[in-house]
Amino acid sequence: MLEERTLHLINADIDGELTADEREDLDVILESSSEARAMRAELLRLSNLLDSQPEQLPPPDLAKQILNKLAPPPRSSNFSLSGLFASFQPATAGLAFAAGLLMTVGFYELSPSGQSSSETASMVGTMVANQTGSPNLLKNDVLLKGEGFSGTVSLRSNDGVYILNFDLDSEEMTKIEVGLDRTGLSFGGFAETRSDEDKVFETVTMSGGTLRVVNQGRQQFAVFLRVNSPEQAIDAGLITIDFEHDGDRLYKGVPES
Amino acid sequence: MNSNGRDHALIERCKSGERQALEELVGLYERPIYNAAYRILGNPDDAADVTQVVFLKAFEHLDQYDSKYKLFSWIYRIAVNESINQLKRGKRQQPFYDNEVAATDSPETALTAADLSREIQVGLMDLKEDYRTVIVLRHFSDCSYAQISEILQIPEKTVKSRLYSARQLMKETLQARGVH
Repeated sequence: MLEERTLHLINADIDGELTADEREDLDVILESSSEARAMRAELLRLSNLLDSQPEQLPPPDLAKQILNKLAPPPRSSNFSLSGLFASFQPATAGLAFAAGLLMTVGFYELSPSGQSSSETASMVGTMVANQTGSPNLLKNDVLLKGEGFSGTVSLRSNDGVYILNFDLDSEEMTKIEVGLDRTGLSFGGFAETRSDEDKVFETVTMSGGTLRVVNQGRQQFAVFLRVNSPEQAIDAGLITIDFEHDGDRLYKGVPES
Repeated sequence: MNSNGRDHALIERCKSGERQALEELVGLYERPIYNAAYRILGNPDDAADVTQVVFLKAFEHLDQYDSKYKLFSWIYRIAVNESINQLKRGKRQQPFYDNEVAATDSPETALTAADLSREIQVGLMDLKEDYRTVIVLRHFSDCSYAQISEILQIPEKTVKSRLYSARQLMKETLQARGVH
C-alpha cells in the first residue's frame, strides 16, 4: 500500500507541478518501489488518455447567437418607404389569389399573447398561395435599402384578405412592427415562404394590435390581415410600420399617401 | 491562456460598447467555455445553452469584474457555476451517451475513438460534481493547480486532494468498464 505522500508526489509529477525537492524525493521512491512505478504508469496512462480527447466544438452559429443577444450599436443607413400603401384599395372579389404557385411554408397562427418561433418551429404545413398573380395594391413594390439591409415590402389583397409580403435580406437583426389599430384589420396569420439556412428567426409576437417580427438573414414571409367585421370600415392607410435594423430606426409612422 | 493585458484592454473596450471587442472576447472564450461545459454536463445542447448564459452574464456584470483576477478565471467561474446550476435543474440529463458499450463489448474488443470518448464521458458523469469539475479544468481546459484554485476559489491543497481522488475514481470506473 502506497503512502499518501507518494500518491501526491506521483500525481503532482504527472501534472508537472513538482518542486525540485519533491522531484528528488519521488525519484528515490520510484527507484525502490515497483508498486509506486506501477501506480505512476497507470495514472500517467489515464492522464494521457484524458488529455488526448478531442475538443468538443460548439455549434457553428453559437457565437453569432451570443452576439445577437447583445445590444448592437447603431448603424447609419437610409431609405424611404414613401408611397407605401399610397394607392391601397381592396381588390375586387374573384381575383386570382390562388392562381397557381404551390409553396410549402411554415404557417404560424399566433395567439393574442404571442409566441416565439421556437415554439412554432414544428408547425409546417402546405398552403396554396399566389404572390405573382395577385394584384399589387402599391404603385410600386417599395424598395428598402440600407447598409447591410435590403428588401421589398408590398401589400396585396383579394376578396377581403389582405397580405403584407416582406422580402428581406439583413446582415444584422431587423425589428419590424406593424400596427393595426383603427384600421379595421387584425392579424390573421403568418407564413414564412422562404428562408436561408443561416437565418435567425428570433420572435414573432402579436399583442395590443401590433405585430412584432424580429429576424435576421435572407427570408420572405407574408403577414395575413383579416377584416374584423363586414360592417366595419376598412382603412388600411392607417397601418403603421416601424423598421429598425441593427439598432437603427429606418422608418416609423403611417406611410405617406 | 490569454494574456492579462489583452484581456483587460478588451474589457475596457467592451465596457465602452465596442462591438468589435465583444466579438473578440466571444471569439477567444466561446470554444473553451463550450468544451468545458460539455464535459461537465455531458450534453451538447445544455453546453450551448450554458455558453450563451455565461457570456450574457459576463457582459451584464462587466462592471463587477475584479481585475485582481484573471479574466479567464472569472469567465470559467461563471461557466462552472452555470453548468452546476444546469445540472441541478436536471434539464436534458445525459441523453448523449449511454452504457451500451460496456454492456455489449468485451474488454478485449478494441474501442473506436468515438466509443472511447463516450466511455470517458460516462466515467466523468459518474464522478461527483466537485471531482468532475477539477478533472475537466485540469485535463480538458489545461488549467494549472493555481488556476483551478482561482477559478473554484478553493485552496490549492484542496485542488490537489480532489484531483487525486477524482483520478483514482475515474481510473477504477474505466477499468471496470474495460477501458483503462
